[in-house]
Amino acid sequence: MSVPESSGKGPQLPADQRRVGEHVRAVIRTRGFLIGLLAVVLAGMYVAGLMSGASAQRLLSLTMWGLMLGGVIALGSIGLSLVYGVMKFPNFSHGALVTLGAYVALSMMALLPQGEPLRPFSFGYEFLVALLIAMPVVGAVAVGIDRVVYRRLRRAGAHLVLFAMASLAMAFFVRSMIYLIWGPDFHFYFPGRANPALYLPFGVRIRADQLFILVLGFVLVGAVYCLLEWTRMGKAMRASADNPDLAQVRGINTERVIAWTWMLGGGLAAAGGVMYGLSSQLRPEMGFWLLLPMFAATIMGGIGNPYGAFVAALIIGVAHQVSTSFLNPTYGPAVAFVLMVVTLLIRPQGLFGRTEG
Amino acid sequence: MPLLKAEGVTAGYGDMEILRDVDLEVGAAEIVSLIGPNGAGKSTLMKTIFGLLTPKSGTITYRDKPIHGRKPHEIVTLGLCYVPQVANVFVTLTVEENLDMGGYLLTAREIPERRERVYEFFPKLRERRRQRAGKMSGGERQMVAMGSALMLQPDLLLLDEPSAGLSPKLVDEIFANILRINAAGPAVLMVEQNAKKSLEVADRGYVLASGENRFDGTGQELLKDPDVARLYLGG
Repeated sequence: MSVPESSGKGPQLPADQRRVGEHVRAVIRTRGFLIGLLAVVLAGMYVAGLMSGASAQRLLSLTMWGLMLGGVIALGSIGLSLVYGVMKFPNFSHGALVTLGAYVALSMMALLPQGEPLRPFSFGYEFLVALLIAMPVVGAVAVGIDRVVYRRLRRAGAHLVLFAMASLAMAFFVRSMIYLIWGPDFHFYFPGRANPALYLPFGVRIRADQLFILVLGFVLVGAVYCLLEWTRMGKAMRASADNPDLAQVRGINTERVIAWTWMLGGGLAAAGGVMYGLSSQLRPEMGFWLLLPMFAATIMGGIGNPYGAFVAALIIGVAHQVSTSFLNPTYGPAVAFVLMVVTLLIRPQGLFGRTEG
Repeated sequence: MPLLKAEGVTAGYGDMEILRDVDLEVGAAEIVSLIGPNGAGKSTLMKTIFGLLTPKSGTITYRDKPIHGRKPHEIVTLGLCYVPQVANVFVTLTVEENLDMGGYLLTAREIPERRERVYEFFPKLRERRRQRAGKMSGGERQMVAMGSALMLQPDLLLLDEPSAGLSPKLVDEIFANILRINAAGPAVLMVEQNAKKSLEVADRGYVLASGENRFDGTGQELLKDPDVARLYLGG
């Protein structure tokens, strides 16, 4: 725990009073305080929603949608956090990978024969197949970009800023390719197909597709957890993020770990993109707009910590949706930023960041 | 035939030359101590042997096979393991996960058995196996680091300042452990600030100064040499 420095300047307070000030500052920086504050902010949003005339049922539905949006954000921000952990740079092209995933799935579905919708969902089996294909395809694209761009920078011992700038360039490159291949128009996976809302207990209204997205998000996050905790490659990823030099000394081929990190990050981003596309529509900018809440979640959860990113993404998703009960939805993205800024001011290492070192 | 042989090694960082024309040999099952003042290039030599630095000239061979210019993750497959001076454990991993990473090159079946041997060697690690290495004391971390390096049952163990920053009591414990490790088989090449104590346990020693070989001989010879004593052992 870092103890805040007491400044020698300013009005001379009695010693015990100064101590209290330092003590308060130390408390404010704890994880517990930040969690408490976030809980108060969320509770405030619910109260504001009720006061603007939203019913409790509506708020409950918004919470469910928020968890779904949070799941989509989480799939992106977990990859972002893993890439940061292993390679130590913020990957600004992660949003473009999300978009690419959605479009690759769209093309796959056009190639596959269209089946009957799997009621109560709006999609047929071809959507699931397309999802399963899009994940490794985007993962392979991410590995390819690494081979062509980032690996050269690594070999040249380039500065962190160059990696970040290169990733920004790749974001524009991938987005331009998407415009070139699929055009600027909106697309739908299933144009005109209805997906009526289900009526769940407590007056919750949610479409079956949204429920699918929610469940799939949690399943994938659970799979990532098992991979990182139990498999050899997962442990090697955590070890490389912790101490890359020592990882090499222990016989871990860090280039292979990096390739698997891109594969995993790219695959998760693609799944996020497909799910986002299913819940609304496909457009070339979709990933770019998700990039902002994804970064907010990564920072809030403690950069480099994929589990923190997951929790933070759910908080941001819920806050985003619930805020629409009393705010114009246009302000939605700002909610993620307010939460991120609050985190940075109070506890820059994030919810689950390490205190020491 | 020596296990490890370095001949005419010149190495450094960028344009800065830290080692000049250094020779060194380690035989099977030997303990060799590398001493010398701060900045003499001892740690640089260790890093160069293990492939973290590439020598500008000279050769390094292990069992007569050249290893200079190869990557650490390749060198470790040959049967030598390295314990760096600092940051020698994965702080966010548990003790057991650290050992597993030490045995990264082993098959899943071999790991539990090797881990068991390390636990027999360092019983304290068994008690702490679920603890994160970052939450441990300096002496305990050193045990985790050595234990991880022993997972591969190397023929040569490189130790960079194993006693740095430890209390006198722990320093004695570390040297006792080094003798125990050596008795179990592997040769040990260690860099030490604690020059006297390390020469006492060493079969042979090298004195490095300003990046060059200055003296070498058996541990006892170096301890008795008046010049070595005056210049490097503090009187």
